[in-house]
Amino acid sequence: MNVLRRILFIVALPATAFVILWFFSADIRDELLPRQKRFFLPSLPKILEVFPDTWLLQRHTPAGDLPSRLTHDVVPSLIRLGEGYGLALLIGVALGVAIGSSRPLRALLEPVLEFLRAIPPVALVPVLFLLAGIGDTTKILVIISGCIWPILLNTVEGVRGVDPTLADTCRSYRVGGLLRLRTFILRSASPQIVTGARQALSIGIILMVISELKASSEGLGHTIQEFTEGFQYPQMWAGVLLLGLIGIVLSLLFRLVERRVLVWYHGQRVAERASS
Amino acid sequence: MTQPSSVLSRAGRSPALLGLLGLVAFGGLLEVLPRIGVLPSEYFPPSSRILVALWHELGRAGTPAIPAFGTALGDTLTTWLTGLAIAVAGGAVVGVVIGSVPLLRELTASSIEFLRPIPSVALIPGLVVLYTDVVSTLVIVVYASFWQMLIQVLYGVGDVDPVARDTARSYRLGVLHRIRYLLWPTALPYALTGIRLSAAVALILTITGELIIGSPGLGENINLAYTALDAPTMYALIVVTGLIGVVANTLTRAAERRILRWHPSVRGEIPV
Amino acid sequence: MLKVQSLRKVYDGHGRQVEALRDITFSVNAGEFVCVVGPSGCGKTTILRLLAGLISPTSGEVGVEGRTVSGPPDGLAMVFQEYGRSLFPWLRVAANVELPLKAKGMAKPERAELVRESLAAVGLADAATAYPWQLSGGMQQRVAIARAIAFQPRVLLMDEPFAAVDAQTRADLEDLVRSVWQRFGMTLLFVTHDIDESVYLAERVIILSSSPTVVLEDLAVDLPAQRDQLETRSDARFVELRHHVYAQVQAAKNQSAAKTVG
Repeated sequence: MNVLRRILFIVALPATAFVILWFFSADIRDELLPRQKRFFLPSLPKILEVFPDTWLLQRHTPAGDLPSRLTHDVVPSLIRLGEGYGLALLIGVALGVAIGSSRPLRALLEPVLEFLRAIPPVALVPVLFLLAGIGDTTKILVIISGCIWPILLNTVEGVRGVDPTLADTCRSYRVGGLLRLRTFILRSASPQIVTGARQALSIGIILMVISELKASSEGLGHTIQEFTEGFQYPQMWAGVLLLGLIGIVLSLLFRLVERRVLVWYHGQRVAERASS
Repeated sequence: MTQPSSVLSRAGRSPALLGLLGLVAFGGLLEVLPRIGVLPSEYFPPSSRILVALWHELGRAGTPAIPAFGTALGDTLTTWLTGLAIAVAGGAVVGVVIGSVPLLRELTASSIEFLRPIPSVALIPGLVVLYTDVVSTLVIVVYASFWQMLIQVLYGVGDVDPVARDTARSYRLGVLHRIRYLLWPTALPYALTGIRLSAAVALILTITGELIIGSPGLGENINLAYTALDAPTMYALIVVTGLIGVVANTLTRAAERRILRWHPSVRGEIPV
Repeated sequence: MLKVQSLRKVYDGHGRQVEALRDITFSVNAGEFVCVVGPSGCGKTTILRLLAGLISPTSGEVGVEGRTVSGPPDGLAMVFQEYGRSLFPWLRVAANVELPLKAKGMAKPERAELVRESLAAVGLADAATAYPWQLSGGMQQRVAIARAIAFQPRVLLMDEPFAAVDAQTRADLEDLVRSVWQRFGMTLLFVTHDIDESVYLAERVIILSSSPTVVLEDLAVDLPAQRDQLETRSDARFVELRHHVYAQVQAAKNQSAAKTVG
């Protein structure tokens, strides 16, 4: 019964909103927008109608069969996102551990890093295009350039805040080197690192799209822009919908991973709360 | 442990000095690398040239094609702060309302989790065809910052100590009193964090909107410099956006510290 | 086994200098159980940290097994007072106990065997798969003790390990430590502020003065080897010894109070 209730609460509001939009999106739009602009915002049923053909299915053209946009555009974009995000994670954590472990290094680099992190990643896109040209590498660099900062800075914070008693325990039992890094430092900092990783994920998705808007021949962002420029608005909105769905799915996946990695952290917080 | 006595380590005692050293070294690095050819100097000019370009940019009179620096800065700040204000006010109100009513919290939890991860850039194509540049940018700014504030306020309202809440109830404190003694002290730190996070996100999205959508501001000027292949000016403007971000972050953190210094914490006890 | 000679430690922080220890000299023979007791703030923890190689002395000598201490010595384990923070919360109990053995480079089957044995020795055979924060304070401290035992140390240092535990649990843990000592025969140096505990547990009690700290007395405890919470604590000799230690500590406190006033 409890499970049923929970499902009900999860579904209630979104389902209601969906039903209302399904039947009334055209009417609501007509209320809000003047006649000449209604063309730009198709009704929900229309958008959903074109969704499969536009994005999911193989395309049949007079010139021949083309692969679905899913395979041709969406998957490459996601792969680039994965590569950029993964590299940002690796480099960010590695540098973060190095910097966080050394107080003088931290003091030396902190203002520089704070400045670099404050630069909106979008502003660096032109820079990277100038320096690295057009191509997949540049797109991945764009993603890294935005994702690395939250990961790096949060890792530094996490490494800084390790418990001194645990550090003493490691010293007195002579736990050092790689074992210490893996079992103590990284795990102690993992709540902070995960926070940074979560912020980096949102930034990564945004940069994935932005990196494809100019000088690109394929990709999710590129295709949406093509539709915009070609006045194909139902298809464009279908793309917007797809982008939103991707954001939601990635966020859910992240939550699942986070829950497993931080099971000890959540448990400890609950135990502390109960005893205080 | 022996005490090293070199100058560098004496400087090492003072983090501020080290930080300054780091900045200077960074600037120096960016001066040297382009000159010796590690970085392509036509696309990445030495820092001295960037500073010169910044100086020129500050004094440049605006043209219809490229607005003056002051105008652009003003536009960016206006968009940023307007969007921030709306997001903060909206996030606070919605957060308090939802947070205080358990039923609402449960009903909206899934929707918040659905809407929150939607990247704001996804809205850009739709907004651009429907509304003006400035409005579109404002919408994505508000959209992204709203969630930051909302989440923090929800944490804050949810963090009210159950013991304190029960005490308030047993003393039959009215709504106004409960807000003042229970909600406000507990939620304030979270609200301040929310404002700080929202401010950072809002600034980033403001520049993003100006760059992509083309609404007037520093972001647009950056784009104009890029298309004109005027690298020094482009970098100069990027430096300015970074500085604004740093200043904003420092100010909000300082405000947080000051406000929370005299602030009483209400865990487990209420002054009645 | 343990030797401390004319030990002096001064802490230097933000311009202020705090003399934690002025002149400490004592030694502990192999296999002995010695308690260090003294008023609060007299530097008991500092002595242990010096022996454990976590800090170094301002002057004087610290020796373990005949060698001067210049870092954490081999074959030495320390149990901290803040048990909650000395266990890794992301590792289960068995993994916590196993960690120092991994660092030693021990092979997996041997490690597993030692972990099993030491958890059984402290009465936590069933808790191997739990996380530390799922356990009570007393049980967490047992895990810390099990970890120390599994390490098979020749020297065991314990820093007020039962200070933060309730009285009933403390009694159980005291008996546990004695039984572990009798079973494994390591040299045990136990720091406490609880005078009753120090006399109950030890073969010798080293009484410290208050700051500036010196050794006031090195008292032999001639109670029988078999100790019992009820019987021993009501024994006449116990009461005498306890009284003596208490008087010494009180005198030390009053002396320092007189110094600050006069």
